[in-house]
Amino acid sequence: MRGVRSNQRIVAGTALGVAAVLASILGVGTARAATAFSIASVAFVAGATLLASREFRHNHPVAARAAISVLAVDVSLVLTAFFSATVDDNLAIGAAMSIVLLGLSFLTGSSGQISLGNGAFMGVGAFTVAVWANHHPTTPIAVVLVLAVVAGALVGLLLGLPATRLRGPYLAGMTLAFAVAFGAVLNLFGTWTGGDSGLQLPAAVNAPAWVLHFFKPGTSSLTTNSVWLVDITIVTAGIALFFMANLFASRTGRAMRLVRDNDVAAELVGISLPRARVIAFIVSAAYAALGGGLWTLINNAVTPSTYGFALSVTILSLVVIGGIGTIPGALIGGLIYAFAANVIAWFTAHTGLNPQGNVASQLNGIIFGGLLVLTILFAPTGIAGFVRRRWAAWRAR
Amino acid sequence: MIRVDGLSVSYGAVQALRDVSFEAQTGTITAVLGANGAGKTTLLRTISGLVAPRSGSIALDEATLTGMRTEDIVRRGVGHVPEGRGVIAEFTVEENLRLGAMISSVPLRDGLAQQYEWFPVLGERRKQAAATLSGGERQMLAMARALIAQPTVLLLDEPSLGLAPLVTAQLMHTVAELCTTTGLTVILVEQNAKSALRIASRAVVLYLGRVVADDVAAVVAQDDQLRQYYLGMVK
Amino acid sequence: MSSFLTSRNVADVLGGITNGVIYSLVALSLVLVWRSTRILNFAQGAMAMIATYVGFAVLAPTTSYWVSMAVAIVAGLLIGGLTERVIVRGLYGKPEINPVVAMVGFLLVLESVAAAIWSTGSRGLPTPFSMVDWQLNHKPVALSPFALYEIVTAVVVMTVIAGLFQFTKLGLRLRAAALAPEVSRLLGVRVGRMLTLGWMLSSAVGAVTAVLVASNYFTGLTPTAMDGVFAFGFIAAAIGGLDSPVGALLSGIALGVILQFVGDYLNSNAIILVALGMLVVSLMVRPNGVFTRSAQRRV
Ligand SMILES: Nc1ncnc2c1ncn2[C@@H]1O[C@H](COP(=O)(O)OP(=O)(O)OP(=O)(O)O)[C@@H](O)[C@H]1O
Ligand SMILES: [Mg+2]
Repeated sequence: MRGVRSNQRIVAGTALGVAAVLASILGVGTARAATAFSIASVAFVAGATLLASREFRHNHPVAARAAISVLAVDVSLVLTAFFSATVDDNLAIGAAMSIVLLGLSFLTGSSGQISLGNGAFMGVGAFTVAVWANHHPTTPIAVVLVLAVVAGALVGLLLGLPATRLRGPYLAGMTLAFAVAFGAVLNLFGTWTGGDSGLQLPAAVNAPAWVLHFFKPGTSSLTTNSVWLVDITIVTAGIALFFMANLFASRTGRAMRLVRDNDVAAELVGISLPRARVIAFIVSAAYAALGGGLWTLINNAVTPSTYGFALSVTILSLVVIGGIGTIPGALIGGLIYAFAANVIAWFTAHTGLNPQGNVASQLNGIIFGGLLVLTILFAPTGIAGFVRRRWAAWRAR
Repeated sequence: MIRVDGLSVSYGAVQALRDVSFEAQTGTITAVLGANGAGKTTLLRTISGLVAPRSGSIALDEATLTGMRTEDIVRRGVGHVPEGRGVIAEFTVEENLRLGAMISSVPLRDGLAQQYEWFPVLGERRKQAAATLSGGERQMLAMARALIAQPTVLLLDEPSLGLAPLVTAQLMHTVAELCTTTGLTVILVEQNAKSALRIASRAVVLYLGRVVADDVAAVVAQDDQLRQYYLGMVK
Repeated sequence: MSSFLTSRNVADVLGGITNGVIYSLVALSLVLVWRSTRILNFAQGAMAMIATYVGFAVLAPTTSYWVSMAVAIVAGLLIGGLTERVIVRGLYGKPEINPVVAMVGFLLVLESVAAAIWSTGSRGLPTPFSMVDWQLNHKPVALSPFALYEIVTAVVVMTVIAGLFQFTKLGLRLRAAALAPEVSRLLGVRVGRMLTLGWMLSSAVGAVTAVLVASNYFTGLTPTAMDGVFAFGFIAAAIGGLDSPVGALLSGIALGVILQFVGDYLNSNAIILVALGMLVVSLMVRPNGVFTRSAQRRV
């Protein structure tokens, strides 16, 4: 019975998609952007319909996760065509941050550990990209980003080794020491990393000609050179999301949650604790490095001061406020980060604070730090947990 | 006198005590018997405020203890020797005793002398870390530490556990003597029903958190049916 | 003899000890709260920094160094007590990352608030003693009156704390509350109060430390002045074992001396890297610290 209904829904959804394509082609009339827009719409509607079927989600979990990721990328890409360049930029920064948060969320959610050094792991990725691009300017972006991920994973492995035997606060303290040490490390290799002033990329990252050709200049367009990096970031975030969703659901992921909840029980059922812990730590470091690498591309430069201890604390705040140990929490955290600066600027303007003054310049820290403390004390599951509970309560009525 | 009235205690879904009422008369020993998991430890922990009851009340003479903090209950003269002894292993014997004496009005030196007289072994080991004591010696230390505070009520949770029969007898004798000489009120939780019933004047039998008997100790000792309850042989 | 005292290695040892006692003090204050509440206080440095601002910024030019020091210590006691009562109380018995997160958040709040009130600029503190090294045959010994004052202060603080814990009734209660909270309550010890007191003491030790650190004219007092010191202090405490005050003390001094040699013979940027490496290695070899006897983990 339910099967029939969900099939009907898929048919209806596809029909809707086709209608949307026709409407946008006929309506807008300008060929290429409209075509892209239509493709996006179809993908959106098809994905949404698929997901609406519980049976599909149950029988094809990987495909469903792929659909969610595609959907999220799709919506974001289409939206970027309508936003201003500044908003697009914010979104890209936030999307890269989401990747970092996914990594930390996985670490905490699966193994109950916390890292105060993910800002520095971001730095590892950021500098890997910058240093490599300065020495080999022609390497494709995808390859450079992979290098950043590898570098992050390697450093993560190095620091993660003691994680095999450490519990909570010791590991947190060690990652804090790493975060504090990172600046000195950069200085130690100053000839490569450019010392205090950091590095510029040799050239801005531009969209390949064939991509640009696909879109009509002058219209609302999914891609121009200026939004190309935004697109790359969002697509990368989508891929990262897909992998993470699978990781969370995998045997390893579930095993790790067991580790977090009770390591004695985990050992009894035969999960190698040390391995699980180190893997979680490495994944989180690699994700952070990917986010940092993207930041370098977006900013076209990297400065060491960005990757200080403060960033690590900000990352922690975002993940906790969003909802620690969950995927939605990481995405929410990224979104908060994207627009936090704007909101704070707005707040400053409306309260008549001197925007150059001491108080205004510290609002960020006061608010994030305060929210961090309040969240962990009064709503330790963060926004995601709060919404989930409200939703469950609403459905139960 | 301790009066327990309609006491119910739950740990989440597990209800450990159901509507328990009884009185422990001043200067007497009241034995609390019951099989494993009957709720004996829970009863003592509730009296000393470590566990909050869901309903019911506990009174010491005319004062209500329910809702008071453990520290304040103890300061009113309720001593509690917990199950599993609870000596601080990292402390020396004397440090354990000094800690116990802190709420006593008797000068420390007199208190120590009294305990070393009752438990000469402790005097010999006074500078030794409690971790190095034998099981029986630890039990004595826990007793002495409770007694040095000059309590008017003493809650004992299985004091004979791990003690040689002779030592147990000695310990029970000391406790009984204290009751008659100083008017100490004792609530004695025991698995070793025989020796407990010998010195107790009344006995309360708990079964699955309920009082199934509350009578003169000699009567309880004679009752074969009850014996099955506290020996844990009832299906 | 005189050339020995002014030699490079002796200079490194002396300089190392001067730094090391600071790490020992930070480690000691971490151990104090760890033992009683099983919380690693990441806001330790920031709390101490605020106390120093209160002592020196609020009373600035009018009063003497010693009055400011006393005010900073009192501020430290208050901040420690308030923190335990307001924030830490709600964290007992929660998953182990909750206190970590809360204290890191608190650290951020404190540093931001300090910067909002007093700006991020560095401010010099008056010093009671000269920072110029003593001379021996016209060559400097790597020890100044101020450095000696630092060392003496650290020794005094540690002696006072050790004496308090070891030889007083209050110390007995403090230790009991930390080792066996439930048993302590059954003996009439007001455990909640002891925990608050432990935080107050720790925070006061921190305040003294921060005053010493901020008096150093190279850094001065800034909202983030304690970040680096905290990291070294944590490393010392973790190597020594968070449960061992003696371990904290010894590994703090050892760390100071080793790092002084690293900075002198290698590179000053390598200092924290070497410290991090030492931490990683020591945690792999002895996860519970070099000086912790029982390696038993609570399940
Ligand atoms: N902290 C707790 N959480 C949940 N259940 C508990 C807890 N403590 C005791 N219980 C349960 O409450 C019931 C009574 O336990 P209690 O320790 O009072 O028994 P007891 O009579 O002292 O047993 P024993 O003779 O074995 O010491 C048992 O079913 C026990 O499992
Ligand atoms: Mg029991």
